[in-house]
Amino acid sequence: MTVKVEKIEGGIPHTTIMVAGLIATLVCIYLTYLNVLTGTQLFSFFGGLATVAALIWGSHTIKHLCSYGIGTGVPSAGMIAFGSGVIAMLFATKYGIAAPIVAVVLAAIIGLILGYLANNVLNMRIPVMIQSLVEMAIIGALVLLGYAVMMTGLDPTSFELTALVTGKVVILGLSLPSYQTSFLGGALIATAFMLGAIAIQHPFNACLGPNWTQDRMLMLAAECGFLSMITAAVMSMPLIPMSAALVSLFVAVIGWYYTYSKYIELSRRDAAAWLESKPIPDVEGH
Amino acid sequence: MSAVAAKPTAGSAVDMTAMIVGIIILLIVIAATYFVLGYSLAFIALIGIIIGGILIGFGVHFVPVGGAPAAMGQAPGIATGVAMLAAGAGLAGLFGGAWAAQTTDNVLVIVITGAVGGGLMMAITCMFVTFIYVFGMGIPCASGKVAKDPITGDTQPEFKSQGTEGHGLPFVSYVGGVIGGLFGGAGGTLIYLMLLNLYKEELPGMMHALPGQVLPIAVSLAGMFAIGMFLVNAVLAAYNITGTIEGPHDPKFKRFPRAIVASAVASAVCGIVAIMIVAV
Repeated sequence: MTVKVEKIEGGIPHTTIMVAGLIATLVCIYLTYLNVLTGTQLFSFFGGLATVAALIWGSHTIKHLCSYGIGTGVPSAGMIAFGSGVIAMLFATKYGIAAPIVAVVLAAIIGLILGYLANNVLNMRIPVMIQSLVEMAIIGALVLLGYAVMMTGLDPTSFELTALVTGKVVILGLSLPSYQTSFLGGALIATAFMLGAIAIQHPFNACLGPNWTQDRMLMLAAECGFLSMITAAVMSMPLIPMSAALVSLFVAVIGWYYTYSKYIELSRRDAAAWLESKPIPDVEGH
Repeated sequence: MSAVAAKPTAGSAVDMTAMIVGIIILLIVIAATYFVLGYSLAFIALIGIIIGGILIGFGVHFVPVGGAPAAMGQAPGIATGVAMLAAGAGLAGLFGGAWAAQTTDNVLVIVITGAVGGGLMMAITCMFVTFIYVFGMGIPCASGKVAKDPITGDTQPEFKSQGTEGHGLPFVSYVGGVIGGLFGGAGGTLIYLMLLNLYKEELPGMMHALPGQVLPIAVSLAGMFAIGMFLVNAVLAAYNITGTIEGPHDPKFKRFPRAIVASAVASAVCGIVAIMIVAV
């Protein structure tokens, strides 16, 4: 028995976003197979695009769940998504090429149990609780996998734990294996965790309210996704060839600039009035 | 939560069927681990993870979480959400425990160091929150749920502004916050320590490497899983108290049995996955 506070009026239905998000994320992760075909790591940026797709889907799931007024604040939803997702994602890396699929299935199982606990044992009684926590866990796992793919230049034939923990250090022209220069050993995963968790909860947290509009929130989600992708591209520099990292950075900056300008446009559309003032006024006479 | 949200209505009733289903899932996970892996390091790790999860879920109920109303001086507690507070206390505890784990093998010493880290973080937070409430916002500390502070015996209603549920951080909430930090830090450290011991034992064989080489991976994996499970347990406990609580004197505190079952099941399910990475 919960009061639903806001309705989703018009716009794209949640099911469409969910299916599109899941397919787009999986396709983007598997598109890194181009790395194998071309023998380079230039296509690692598809991992970043996968995270953007998953984050757009995730922000709408959070909207779906938090419009029931769960009382704990929107950020907690992002935290539980990645807390359960990281467990599924790390276990899935035992399965090589099937890792993304295993991650989805395992995250769904963990999410199902957490949803049952929240809804029935803790008596939340929110109709979309179980479905939302299932989706969140899947999104958390896929976003982390996307960042792992992007930062380490993995391809679908090597989604393995050993690939995530082993890096290379070049000393005097010699390439030596190193466990510290890696996604896990260097704890880049902790940064990826927070990059994703903040990007997933921010759009709804920023756009909620009586004048919430779907396209504005989803555009902000894409913007947050690309912003995180810029950071991830910078963090990928020690792990993959500089050219591949620069390609990722280029894609991320272009995507961020496009979505940011679109978001500002949509914000102006939804604002009652706006004044074109500059952050730092130009002082005349200099 | 929406700005115009109505108060969530999750009641304090206990759903016995769901509780029993939860306990059955917990027992199945424990029994399956015991039959597949026997009384091994992995089984001990699972039990430790479940105990750690219960400590975290129980500890969150002590922490005075005020949320947005507290920031406006309309409800008592620290002005942020459970996820932030619990993450802060838990990670501070984890750092303390991880530091102790480098120097000693004594489980008790490590867990207590973690607890002190979490408790210290909450004590500092509560103190500066009170400074800001009293000297910055100019509001006295008054509880809205009890007439007298259970510890100091100070009367509360005459300090409470009309139309609010109390404000500031009463002494009992401060003590509750520190106790919550102690529990949270101890729980997070216990999960980390159990997984670290397991990974240090199993990873060298699995990856054909020397123990010294895999140490960064073991630390990173155990830390990541500990953070994940910590957040899962903290958010589930937050769902139990529907976001805000004043401390151990709040009537919502009596809901903790539900959170203990939920935390135990969630930790068991997440823990078995974390263990299977190396054990299967």
